[in-house]
Amino acid sequence: MKKIFLSSGLLFLVLGTVLLSSQAVMASGSSVMDRIHAADKPFDSMGIETAYHLPVKTVLAQESYQGGTFRVLARKDFITRFRCSVCHTDKKVLVSDGILFTHGDIVINHGRGNERLACIECHDEKNRDFLSDAEGKQIDFDHSYQLCGQCHFRQKRDWLGGAHGKREAYWAGERVVRNCTSCHSPHSPAFETKMPATYSLPLDK
Amino acid sequence: MNSSGKKEDEMKITDILEKKSTRRSFMKNLSIAAAAGSAGLVTGGCVSLGKTEEMGLKWEEYFKKNYRLMTQEEKDETVARLVRLAKIKNDADIQISNQEPRENVLYGYAFNISRCKGYMDCVEACVKENNLDRKSKTQYIRLFEMDSGQLDPTSGDGKYFHEVPVEGKFYMGVQCFHCENAPCIKACPTKATWREPDGIVVIDYDWCIGCRYCLAACPYWGRRFNWGEPEVPKEEMNTKQHYLGNRMRMKGVMEKCTFCVQRTRQGKLPACAEACPTGSRVFGNLLDPNSEIRYVLKNKRVFRFKEELGTDPKFWYFID
Repeated sequence: MKKIFLSSGLLFLVLGTVLLSSQAVMASGSSVMDRIHAADKPFDSMGIETAYHLPVKTVLAQESYQGGTFRVLARKDFITRFRCSVCHTDKKVLVSDGILFTHGDIVINHGRGNERLACIECHDEKNRDFLSDAEGKQIDFDHSYQLCGQCHFRQKRDWLGGAHGKREAYWAGERVVRNCTSCHSPHSPAFETKMPATYSLPLDK
Repeated sequence: MNSSGKKEDEMKITDILEKKSTRRSFMKNLSIAAAAGSAGLVTGGCVSLGKTEEMGLKWEEYFKKNYRLMTQEEKDETVARLVRLAKIKNDADIQISNQEPRENVLYGYAFNISRCKGYMDCVEACVKENNLDRKSKTQYIRLFEMDSGQLDPTSGDGKYFHEVPVEGKFYMGVQCFHCENAPCIKACPTKATWREPDGIVVIDYDWCIGCRYCLAACPYWGRRFNWGEPEVPKEEMNTKQHYLGNRMRMKGVMEKCTFCVQRTRQGKLPACAEACPTGSRVFGNLLDPNSEIRYVLKNKRVFRFKEELGTDPKFWYFID
């Protein structure tokens, strides 16, 4: 009987040492945070040869990202009736053609509460091919982030850093990000409610 | 982990697996001889030549090594065999890559819980990209609809299907977190799962015996098991595959998110990050101080799920 107790005691001793040593092994590896803090040299992401140029049109952004340059998706090609100055001339228009020429389909849902923004708060009053900011500076449609950023400066700060918005297709290669208007409709910028793309089966609990 | 420790570790693994290699190589030679013999018999019979080729390839596949012990030549050979087998069996033209990890890359992921709207485009894209079983509706990502103030997905609804987003709720995505100190790797009795140098935890499907210890060990419900033969319609099959990633699995093996190894090692974003319409998913190189993921870690309020377990996941949640 005594022998059994002794051997079981020995067994626990062995088990304990094994468990403790495995704990020690676990603690010895360096953590992700250690590796991140140790990595301070810029990575040559252009070295990944498969991150080729995108098929979409991009423009060089007029801002800097972590000291370097980056590109944004071009916008003007996606505006169906660009250039605006083709219609916005001094020529007189018949009332019956008005429905065709005015932007009756655009619903503005932009602005706080019921105070909707007017067209000319973003669009330039004189030159319709441009936007203009609060100071009256003309802004190209491809660089609309300069306009949006005057109110949404927090979002712009995050967007410049990479915490808002998203990169296009590649994590490597030259930094190409979506423009504000690539995701948000400028006239109704909030995301809509909709049905999810798919669903998940219940968890087996 | 320091390099010398790693090397030692690798040596140990090699030792363990190589001990059997004499027996293994003997068996392999024996099997090839047997295959050749039977091939002779079979061609004498009424079975077509294609069938013989398939049998031969399957024999050789059966006696291949663990992926980590293969030389580059052996890796190329097995990839060529798998491509040929897919052609014979399903008349599918696939490409299987065995692209090695890139130098100075450690993949990391950040998920913005204040931006996600629960649209589930990520789940849809993941299923298509990774050739997930349509029959059992396997999904690597699960989105939970959560009440504000909660941070534990078990309190959320993981099977919602209604118009989203719902007022007063937020959405939290869970998938494999690619832990640096992953419990699933320790649990595996056949060393069929391991962490690659670029941080991705992968599975060698041919060495998995389907014991599901890793499934039990994972505190994040990150792993999925193939209870049946996975079914993917041929026209929906993603033909750009990786040996450790989205190549077709078999019945009785584990699978899980691989950060889309077939894409990310080519410089592309994972399918979920590319599909997300809200920009909630940030992916990048943790070892690059100029990457977006590093910006998030430095400037945003971040947390990791169940960090107290010491699993050291490379997946952060953040808020605006």
